[in-house]
Amino acid sequence: MGEAIVITSGKGGVGKTTSSANLGTALALQGKKVCLVDTDIGLRNLDVILGLENRIIYDLVDVIEGRCRIQQALVKDKRFEDRLFLLPAAQTTDKNAVTPEQMKDLITELKRDYDYILIDCPAGIEQGYKNAVAGADRAIVVTTPEISAVRDADRIIGLLEAEDIEPPKLIINRIRRNLINSGDTLDVNDITSHLSIDLLGIVLDDENVISSSNKGEPVVMDPNNPAALGYRNIARRILGESVPLMSVDTGKPGFFGKLKSLFSK
Amino acid sequence: MSKQQVVTIKGTKDGLILRLDDQCAYSDLLEELGKKAQDPGLEGAVEVQIHTGSRYCSDQAAKEIIQVVQSAGHLRVSKIQSDVITMEECNRRVQEQQSETYIGIVRSGQEVHAKGDLVVIGDVNPNGHVSAAGSIYILGRLKGKAHAGNAGNREAVIAASWLEATHLMIADQMETMTDELAILSEHPEMECAYLHTNGFIAIDRLQDLRLLRPGLSTFKGGS
Repeated sequence: MGEAIVITSGKGGVGKTTSSANLGTALALQGKKVCLVDTDIGLRNLDVILGLENRIIYDLVDVIEGRCRIQQALVKDKRFEDRLFLLPAAQTTDKNAVTPEQMKDLITELKRDYDYILIDCPAGIEQGYKNAVAGADRAIVVTTPEISAVRDADRIIGLLEAEDIEPPKLIINRIRRNLINSGDTLDVNDITSHLSIDLLGIVLDDENVISSSNKGEPVVMDPNNPAALGYRNIARRILGESVPLMSVDTGKPGFFGKLKSLFSK
Repeated sequence: MSKQQVVTIKGTKDGLILRLDDQCAYSDLLEELGKKAQDPGLEGAVEVQIHTGSRYCSDQAAKEIIQVVQSAGHLRVSKIQSDVITMEECNRRVQEQQSETYIGIVRSGQEVHAKGDLVVIGDVNPNGHVSAAGSIYILGRLKGKAHAGNAGNREAVIAASWLEATHLMIADQMETMTDELAILSEHPEMECAYLHTNGFIAIDRLQDLRLLRPGLSTFKGGS
């Protein structure tokens, strides 16, 4: 019996879909069987980021309305043998095509075959959000170090705490080292003390996240990328390992750092 | 057996007191009251208080009694006093005296209401809303909206370990916490907001509350 985790944020554009794709990929890299479910009906993106757009035949609404079996709709990511699947959202209808009860049944069915089901939630707190949360056992809230994203995260945490699920955990995405060091943005402590929920991990902002998403290869597949490291650490924490939080502060270079920069000139 | 007096008139230095019998029928009472009010022995404009004893008077009945007494023209009812209240009224009064405790964070979009005083152990985040008929005490950061004395109690206060609210309301007075209120940005720690005698909301150190609102203390005994 697997575990269903909903990835949500309230605000749009903070990286729910990117985080879903990367965490799913990272868990598959760790040898887990993962199913990603895109619940953003009408505005699907997860398939594009995973590079699976061309292979969609059936979608979530087809499954729910009984036009196909669940296995027929699942798209397999060939890069991970039998470990990563996507249940794409429908693009031709809207969020009201599905009810929370139907979603719950669907997720329960998927939990039998997979270790982790990651549910990519649409922005907002309306029908789409309710559908996405319905089947989840746990929730991950994604935010960025912007006041508007943190406000929306606060709202969504309040709604999640009213649900019958485990207390939500936080991912702070798109952290920019230079802005934090100059004090021009909220730092990790400000955000966690404001929201007062457990921090699951932080992800540094990196240009390669965008370029790799455009190529359909989640950035987490590049082991040397700083954002990828953040996602890999989060995946390990989801699996129950205790991984120390990576440091945001680059600070001043130490003695060896100075020495190194001397030689590299 | 001589008929018992249904309405007894008693003179005090504050005016007349009409003591109404609480065992007789209500219709008899009104009739007798009408006669007594017309009594030529009562001269000049007089203020009267009415004591109804153990008879419960609904608002309707109280109005009728006042009307009958004042119909003669020279009596004015200053007060109706009764020894009994309804369970409903009693419960309401008990609730108003009580303090309710909320443990947790009042997040954006959430509302917490109390019928008496409200104690919040945790933060009130921006766009979170707490309100109470009595005072509000927050062990944590108040960064949202707080409304104390929402039923009109102008003595109510808002106290917080960290007062950084966006809006403060006491009774019908509202204050938006803009940058002009320099007092807040300097020391948001351990502050309380109260309704100043000038009619505006003022903010002072929490420690000054004992001088500003000594009536809020319910502690008895000690020393």
